[in-house]
Amino acid sequence: MILTPLDELLLFSGATLLVALILGRGLAAGWMVTILYGGQLLTLIKMAALGYSDTIIHASINFEIMGQSLSWRFDALSWFFALITVASALLSSWFSCGEWERSFKQHGGNIWLYHSAMALNVFTMLILLASGDLLSLFIGWELVSWAGFLLMAMAGGVATRAAMRYITYAMAGGMAVFGGIALVYVAAGSLQYEAILTAVDQMSTTQLWMLVVMFGSGFGIKMGLLPFHLWQAPAYAETPGPGSAFLGAISSRMGLFAILLVLVKLFGIVNIDSLKIPFTLIDARDLLAWIAVFTIILPTFTAMKQNDARHLLAWHGIGQGGYMLLGVVVADAMGGAGGLLHVFNHATYQAALFMAVTAVIHRTGTSDLNKLGGLVVRMPLSFVVLLVGIIGLAGLPPMNGFVSKWLVYRSLLNEGMPLLFLAAVIGTLGTILSVYKLIHNIFLGQLRIEHEQVKEAPWSMMVPMLILAAIIFITGLFPGIPLAWVASVQEVIGLPVTDYTLGGVESVSGSLDMIWVIGVLFAGFGIGAVIFYSAGRSKRVHQLDNYAGGHFLSADVRYQYSDNFYAGLMHLIGGWYRGSFLWLEKSVTSLVDFISLVMQGLYRRANAEFYLLSTALFVIAWVVI
Amino acid sequence: MAPMELILELTLMPLIAFLVGMMMVLMMRRIAAKIQRRVGPPLLQPLYDIVKLHSKRTQISHGLIHDIGIIMAMGGYIAAETLLPVPGMNGIAEKGGIITLLYLMMIPSLGLALGVGQCANPNGSIGIARALTAMLAYDIPLVIVIFGVAYAAGTTNLVDIIAQQQAGGFAAWGAVEMPLLAIAGLIAMHASLGKQPFEIYIAPAEIATGPMVEMSGKYLGGLFVMQCFQLYTTSVLYVSLFLGGGTTWFDFLLKSFLVLAIPVSIAYLFPRYRTEDLLRLMWKWPVMLGLIGVAFVL
Repeated sequence: MILTPLDELLLFSGATLLVALILGRGLAAGWMVTILYGGQLLTLIKMAALGYSDTIIHASINFEIMGQSLSWRFDALSWFFALITVASALLSSWFSCGEWERSFKQHGGNIWLYHSAMALNVFTMLILLASGDLLSLFIGWELVSWAGFLLMAMAGGVATRAAMRYITYAMAGGMAVFGGIALVYVAAGSLQYEAILTAVDQMSTTQLWMLVVMFGSGFGIKMGLLPFHLWQAPAYAETPGPGSAFLGAISSRMGLFAILLVLVKLFGIVNIDSLKIPFTLIDARDLLAWIAVFTIILPTFTAMKQNDARHLLAWHGIGQGGYMLLGVVVADAMGGAGGLLHVFNHATYQAALFMAVTAVIHRTGTSDLNKLGGLVVRMPLSFVVLLVGIIGLAGLPPMNGFVSKWLVYRSLLNEGMPLLFLAAVIGTLGTILSVYKLIHNIFLGQLRIEHEQVKEAPWSMMVPMLILAAIIFITGLFPGIPLAWVASVQEVIGLPVTDYTLGGVESVSGSLDMIWVIGVLFAGFGIGAVIFYSAGRSKRVHQLDNYAGGHFLSADVRYQYSDNFYAGLMHLIGGWYRGSFLWLEKSVTSLVDFISLVMQGLYRRANAEFYLLSTALFVIAWVVI
Repeated sequence: MAPMELILELTLMPLIAFLVGMMMVLMMRRIAAKIQRRVGPPLLQPLYDIVKLHSKRTQISHGLIHDIGIIMAMGGYIAAETLLPVPGMNGIAEKGGIITLLYLMMIPSLGLALGVGQCANPNGSIGIARALTAMLAYDIPLVIVIFGVAYAAGTTNLVDIIAQQQAGGFAAWGAVEMPLLAIAGLIAMHASLGKQPFEIYIAPAEIATGPMVEMSGKYLGGLFVMQCFQLYTTSVLYVSLFLGGGTTWFDFLLKSFLVLAIPVSIAYLFPRYRTEDLLRLMWKWPVMLGLIGVAFVL
């Protein structure tokens, strides 16, 4: 039997898992696993033709269970997501090698569990991405959910609680997906993609509505779409360092992958567009767009209120997912490209940001934004990585986040959707405020006296961070590189394809060429530097040599402006944070609690007559109605 | 276009912007003087100021990021000017478009924010927190306005937007076709300049000039240069969006100076708003006007 490249990839991934399981406690385990991730990446690169054309690579394994055939295969969509998955796993794993690993063990962490959980996550994600029919999709989906739980829960304490919350949501989502699959089976008589594609046209509006709601909410839970977003931020933030970088980069995008596959490719945006909501002017697609927009705004402004760097980033991760869905739902050439490109861009900067924050935690022991400050001189490279990352996250030139957001804005503009456009921009502005607080409170402002001797992060951490920073900048300069992959994905899922160039996109209604934009930007900086440095010499004072309001300040006086950073803004909008979704979640939990109490009460009361009576009543009611 | 010609344009555009910007600073000071019944500074005062600030003996640097912040503050605008068409020169306006321009215009403030951050002066940080909040306030009406104009023109290419207005004559000017958007844009533009009553982030009496508190010598000089560019960019952008750009340099400059004179005159008549009042004002009136304006456009 000849192995297809996909077989090789899955075997490689399985081998990584095995090595982690068997040798995960060993000295060089981290390096071995990292090298194996590198091998997976090479296998993926061997399949690079997928990213540039509309071909399919099948796996050799097929099953036949109860008349259902299960198969696995890769196309451009799977390849694009797999590339991000494996690359972020490689870099996070690299980051964890050496010093982080040692300090993790010293602090009582279980490094074997960490390596195994990471490898398991990658393996299950690849299985999900390779799914060739709805049944294998469901299997992959459940595997990914449980693997994620393992990684989230391993830190214990708060993390376990967050992970329990996650798995509760994920199981509910799994049920919804399963229900959806059952409905599809009833309607189409098969779970093969081709059969579903033909059956969709015959489906009634009610059926399609049910399917959109079930699949949308099931997959939406993984993506952290409103109102199912509460689990995500604490679960990701409390995962140990590089694990959070990996999860933040790609994990919740599996939801988007499934949405793209089922809602966009199989059901088709046109069909979703035709689902009108009675008594209103909007349809299912508008509904999705508005969910996306609220997913952008609310978590972003929640992030602004966070006082822990990791939680702040995790909340932004939810918000950025909204841009992806928004772009895909607008579904013109630019929107689709923007949404998909944002998956790639987000993975790069989110991983870099989580790593930079982890590096700070590694050196200072805290990620509390009120207990840091002034680290820029102590950890300059980490500062640069965080800066590159936040520029990407905020979506400003010259980093890659700008290109994908630009595409989303442009699509909203072309389609004439002012409110969605405005909401998308509000999200960006909120992000700018929030990330400035992040960088200011960690790296700028007053240096704390206990951090005077802090050193730069070790090279084992620095190298993957710098690689990510370079990717963020290079794909900002040449967005054509990922846009080529994105264009093949658009073709595979049936969206119009963008007219891209190496530097951006061509369009009659306004083009973008990042090579020129970045070129003039840096030329401008150059001229600025010439003006600045040709003027008189400045005297560099020590970082702790400061004064404020005419008083000399010594380092033992705390004067970092960090808490309630945007006081003026919070005067106005502070009252709008009501925790409504928390309240909603609590009310659902207490309702479930109440029902289970009632049921328990019934069950424990060994009263035969009562059972008889209630059963009889139920039967009568059933018959009558 | 010949490469040499393009390079010439890319050099000239920021240079002209700087010279015009200095004259705008002069006009601003002269208006202030007129309102306060003073004589006001002479013609070359802005130039004298820049030279003086750049040649000061004592200049305190709080570190590399402090320096880079100033460089970014100047450089961001220098880059932005090449995306802003002027009569006879388009630079690379067609390669970026209006959204890119809007984002490039944010870079100077963010560079400044970084630089101020490293100064480790709480007054500076408070000033930046307020400045970013102000940005959140005025950018929301501003993007509504930009959306309206770009949608009406069917393009984000600033060259085309100007060409369409000039082709249709006065009746096709943005301000005539979309008066509500023009008013909203004017209010947002006023706030974006950070002049009274919207100068809460400088507030000398409260936070000792906020972001500028640690800026001495060439640092303040850099900010002065940035202000020249800012005045120019803001007013020229407004002229391009609503007043048909310029066919000749004469009417181009006349329009730009006149547009700028409006917020500047108002500025010296009013006290300042608090941050939350600024947010409330910006999110209410210009946003409402802008949304109604967009509704007309759609």
